[in-house]
Amino acid sequence: MTEKHLSSQFDADLNTINAHLLEMGGLVEAQVANAMKAFSTMDAELASEVLAKEKTVNDFEINIDKECAEILARRQPTAKDLRLVLAIAKAISNLERVGDEADHIAARIKKIVEVNAPYQINVAEIRIAGQMALGLLRRSLDAFARMDSKAAATIVADDLEIDNEFRGFVRKLNSYMSEDPRIISTALEILFIAKAVERIGDHAKNISEFVIYVDKGMDVRHLPHDQLIQEANK
Amino acid sequence: MTLDTTNLKNAIEVRNLDFFYGKFKGLKSINLNIAENKVTAFIGPSGCGKSTLLRTFNRMYDLYPGQRAEGEINLYGENILDKERDLNLLRSKVGMIFQKPTPFPMSIYDNIAFGVKLYENLNKADMDERVEWALNKAALWNEVKEKLNQSGLSLSGGQQQRLCIARGVAVKPSVLLLDEPTSALDPISTGKVEELVHELKNDYTVAIVTHNMQQAARVSDFTAFMYLGELIEFNETKQIFLKPDRKETEDYITGRFG
Repeated sequence: MTEKHLSSQFDADLNTINAHLLEMGGLVEAQVANAMKAFSTMDAELASEVLAKEKTVNDFEINIDKECAEILARRQPTAKDLRLVLAIAKAISNLERVGDEADHIAARIKKIVEVNAPYQINVAEIRIAGQMALGLLRRSLDAFARMDSKAAATIVADDLEIDNEFRGFVRKLNSYMSEDPRIISTALEILFIAKAVERIGDHAKNISEFVIYVDKGMDVRHLPHDQLIQEANK
Repeated sequence: MTLDTTNLKNAIEVRNLDFFYGKFKGLKSINLNIAENKVTAFIGPSGCGKSTLLRTFNRMYDLYPGQRAEGEINLYGENILDKERDLNLLRSKVGMIFQKPTPFPMSIYDNIAFGVKLYENLNKADMDERVEWALNKAALWNEVKEKLNQSGLSLSGGQQQRLCIARGVAVKPSVLLLDEPTSALDPISTGKVEELVHELKNDYTVAIVTHNMQQAARVSDFTAFMYLGELIEFNETKQIFLKPDRKETEDYITGRFG
């Protein structure tokens, strides 16, 4: 929001909500980063830390939702302001789910470590996809902070790559399991982790789509990608 | 910015309308269509010309020397700016309700019957029926049916305003002009008048000027944003309040004007 409202309190309220969203985004980002780090090193202790912080993420969501409801009730925002409040309310729900995914990853890691399962599966794709998902999440929050539609459009494109990595890994996992049925239970845990990473990318993509909605006033969800790019660059 | 209303029937078509207060040009080349059986709202800061425009639709400005309109305002195809136009007849077709309720200092019944008598010669039974019909249209009948002989001034502000609306619809106009009809009313009365506007558009074409943007958002199908005598943007109301095309409109409705 470049130009100020006649009411400075309105500006202050919108800025506060925006700041809280970004703060929540930062926390969720750290959760994902730690979950992926714990996965790389099979660090059950770090995974426990991730699990412990889940409640803070949830509290953020409830608090920001309340702030959005308050601003709707008191200010009846219109046009871009209205789109911003709607987008924030939706973005935090996506962030909360990213938090859940980090939580799921952490829980799976603990399980794998606890049962001391045989673990001879090459999980390079998940690590790569994890870094990609984390990057997308960071960029989507950045695009949100700057209301940058062009940057948002590139994130939507990059999410497709994570989906590809995920599909590649599932194919590989299939052949691992048919070769050695003893690893099936571990492989399933890892499959859940891979799925969680893939979902984190989807949520980052959703947040990016909200950026285009706020900035351009166009709902680009489910649009073909070339059309989405067009709208973002209008 | 002219809205494409080609698939709608227009009650009023404004073409190249200029309006002058003496030498001051209050409206600059206005073009827009008021769709039949829809509610069209006019918003904009004070002095933008929205009330001026509304007052041209029944030539209310004719009451004031030095004010004149140029261009065309076609009411169902007939230019109402024609000098030969019968103004009383015009105003029976295009009724107006003002900001402050203006009941006549006479009974509730006579407030309604007065205008009807100017245009029609009804017998007592028919007039009774018309009065009841008009009061029903204005959602006031149930509140006043026991006291039709009491003064219109004895009613509350909100009831008075609905009485004025009843008086307006009693002569069976085709268009109703509402000039800030609720700015002197409390929220409950405002709600009743807004609800009434929804009802009225089944039978009438409604044009409303309001300072309350949320009111425009609530009651209208189309919204015109005016500024400094110009029509800046005219579009479907939901479009104006979700994603206006013009920056001026966005600044005004989001409260960034100034």
